[in-house]
Amino acid sequence: MTTDYLALAQAVAQRAAADGIEAEAYITHDTETQIKVSQGAVEQLSQSATRGIGVRIIDHGRTGYAYTSDFSDDSIEQTWRTARELAQIATPDEYRALPDPRPIPDEDLEIWDPKLESVPPEAKIDAIKRVERATLDYDARIILSEFCNYQDAISHVYLANSRGFAGQYGRTIALAFNMAIARGEDGGMVNAFGFGASNFFDELNPETIGRESASKAISILGGQPVPTQTAPVILDHFVSAQILGALAEALSAESWQKKRSFLLDRLGQQVGNDMVTLMDNGRMKRGVASAPFDAEGVPTSATRLIDEGVLQNLVYDSYSARKAGVQSTGNAQRFGHRSLPMLGPSNFYMQPGHQTRDEIIAGVEKGFYVISVMQTGGIDSVTGDCSMSANGLWIENGKIVGPVGGVTIATTLDGFLNNITAVGSDLRMVPAFGAIGVPTLRVDNVTIGGT
Amino acid sequence: MIAKELAQKVLAEALRTGADLAEIYVEDVVSLQLGLEDSKIEQAVRGADRGAGVRVFFGNLVTYAYTDTLDETSLMNAARAAAAAGSGSSQTRVIDLTERKSPLKYPVEIAFETMSIQEKANLLGKMDETARAYHPAIVQVNASYLELRRHMWLFNSAGVQVEDDRSYTEMRGGVIARRNGTLQSVREGFGGRMGLELLSRNDALGKMHEIAETAVKMLDARPCPAGEMPVVMCNGWGGVLFHEACGHQMEADFITKGSSAYTGKVGQQIANPIITAIDDGTIAGRRGSLAFDDDGTPAQRTVLIEKGILKEYMWDLVEARRVGRESSTGNGRRESYRHMPMPRMTNTFIDRGEHDPQEIIESVKRGVYIQSMAGGQADIAKGDYVFNATVAYLIEDGKLTTPLRGATIFGNGPKTLMQIDMVGNDLALDPGMGTCGKGQAARVSVGQPTLRIPAATVGGTDEPVSGM
Ligand SMILES: [Zn+2]
Repeated sequence: MTTDYLALAQAVAQRAAADGIEAEAYITHDTETQIKVSQGAVEQLSQSATRGIGVRIIDHGRTGYAYTSDFSDDSIEQTWRTARELAQIATPDEYRALPDPRPIPDEDLEIWDPKLESVPPEAKIDAIKRVERATLDYDARIILSEFCNYQDAISHVYLANSRGFAGQYGRTIALAFNMAIARGEDGGMVNAFGFGASNFFDELNPETIGRESASKAISILGGQPVPTQTAPVILDHFVSAQILGALAEALSAESWQKKRSFLLDRLGQQVGNDMVTLMDNGRMKRGVASAPFDAEGVPTSATRLIDEGVLQNLVYDSYSARKAGVQSTGNAQRFGHRSLPMLGPSNFYMQPGHQTRDEIIAGVEKGFYVISVMQTGGIDSVTGDCSMSANGLWIENGKIVGPVGGVTIATTLDGFLNNITAVGSDLRMVPAFGAIGVPTLRVDNVTIGGT
Repeated sequence: MIAKELAQKVLAEALRTGADLAEIYVEDVVSLQLGLEDSKIEQAVRGADRGAGVRVFFGNLVTYAYTDTLDETSLMNAARAAAAAGSGSSQTRVIDLTERKSPLKYPVEIAFETMSIQEKANLLGKMDETARAYHPAIVQVNASYLELRRHMWLFNSAGVQVEDDRSYTEMRGGVIARRNGTLQSVREGFGGRMGLELLSRNDALGKMHEIAETAVKMLDARPCPAGEMPVVMCNGWGGVLFHEACGHQMEADFITKGSSAYTGKVGQQIANPIITAIDDGTIAGRRGSLAFDDDGTPAQRTVLIEKGILKEYMWDLVEARRVGRESSTGNGRRESYRHMPMPRMTNTFIDRGEHDPQEIIESVKRGVYIQSMAGGQADIAKGDYVFNATVAYLIEDGKLTTPLRGATIFGNGPKTLMQIDMVGNDLALDPGMGTCGKGQAARVSVGQPTLRIPAATVGGTDEPVSGM
């Protein structure tokens, strides 16, 4: 399509001047591909482009928002009027205003793969078939590769506001995942996921993804519960990423201003072991959540949130920053044109330490290496509660002795931060809301619920 | 939304490369969302989404292309893109489309427009006042309103032409209570496939009062004990248990591949004979109800388990075609025109039993009573499930005593179904807020009577209690 979307966004935003209000237009234009394979054959193939525009109006501290996927003049006119009307409904809030434009650093974040557009579907099909192959070839006890999916997106974002900001960027992402299902001699089945994501198609490693799901499934096959006890646990990346997701929520200025964080009012205090350093970096090179500017046009930045256990800072968008009298950290996020900007993490990660995973295991006298967990609402950034069901491996005298399944693990988020006694060197980024990065961790004093 | 003649032309184009079935799904979605937090209306969002997807079947290969523009050129391009995977040919056929009407009616009794946006916003303001007035420990309140109309039309080359005009209304409320550094958060709400009659059938302010009361009470909660113990699940929301423990494992995509423990078990006893479980997409006003599913199949009531015997799985069109079934069970659902359907639950529940709910609680000497939960998750292959209770109580000598925090209930679905040994006579469906995630979001309902699991694994941080 040859439409000049940035010019369109600017034209919409500039209408605000005549009305004595503020306006912002956000346009996305995405091309997405999805391929699912099963038993060596393509089962689903979907490829399409969509676009949409969202108009945010701020009328003297009152926000209205409307969006549409119809770019006709009539539809955009209607969207503008609807957003204006909705602003009449909102409660005035002196801190609600659009951000003033700040210079966007001219630096290549390496989030655009110029090749992705020209990668033929056959190459993508081949990549995802290799994931399945690697899973099935791993071990005779692997019986199935499920949810074996390749997805990519070529996204363009165009943003303009009535304070003069106008910017655009492109970002690509390619990801692949599958679930390996293993069956033991007794007929019992287990499953585990493998996953890979990158801004660059060539950086996906199908064999690594396929082997990860398979090796995890095989390792937990036949797991039995252990007696209920308190013991150290070692957490796999995917497990601690879920806990870090709740910490990211608790470290947002909005959670504090709305009194819904278990860390509330503890700035400057020691909230965790001194091995714990947590960062948010929206400018990480090749970060899947990196962007030159955030969802309201503020340059992204790197923010040190917890430094050697001491709570130092929070992430801010322009609203929470204005309210707190500080500068936005550029953490306004958006799920496409259908959502208002909302405060959240970008690339949020724990600084890696120096030990390898094997060294961490070797240091455990008796404990539980947690490979996969299930939880929905079990990790709560408000109450600080943290409990889930878990599968993994039992460790005795520094050695893995056998699989464990059918147990729960529980601690609190405070307990988690204070009882981390080893941090691995193997930082890995897991795409979530933003992207969450975490090394292998050892956490002591965790309650294991079993028999 | 698109003329029958255009649909016929697009379908013919989609079939040109030798497909055996082609389909056009058209959708028009309009929504309004209002959100209050910090005693301020912060969210006022109106959305308009329109688009179509063309799906083409070549045996077990399904290709898909979608567009957000509904003119002839865009639809024909989508048809060509979806057909591109084919290498055969077929003579352009004339496709006979016969419009089918559903006997199921889901009327909107009170239209969204009968209440101004300002009045809807005012209701949220009153919900905020109600909760804050209850107790000084209430430090934060949020309330939200959603109205959504999703109108779908579907045409396929087998001659199907259907539409389903779905309206949903939802109200949600949440409060945070704080005392001496302890925080408690409680969220609830109600919703359904209906218009604003939802607001006259439910008491939004009464609900907020109740939520505030629970949050303050939960400030005194103590950590949940860990270990194996009897668990009593409340009626209504407690149905998350069946949804997670067994429902997903009865979805046909996990059956045809053999990844579910229930594969090949139709006719066998898989549950205690006191258990009958049903998926019913035809219940008036319920969140998971449909006239036609997103494959164009009429919604139906499907008995999954009858007196402990496995009767049927939940099928969509793709999985039904894979095994040569004549028809699906009307469980094909998709999140939007940008997605392909897959087998999903609608309104799924364990049927009424014989025990008085009070008698079930009294039967437990020491255990946990689950009153409300944040949702759950299932592990398909192993059959394990987990859900996290937001409101739970300790049962001591047959009575509910201390409120418990941080309770996780964990078990194995197939085992739990055999174990459940008491089912109440108080069947209820949930208040209508459930969304199931399986790669795509789907509005569903769950339900059950009060029931007892004699030994489940409970996760918490408290020391194990001996003798349980
Ligand atoms: Zn579900």
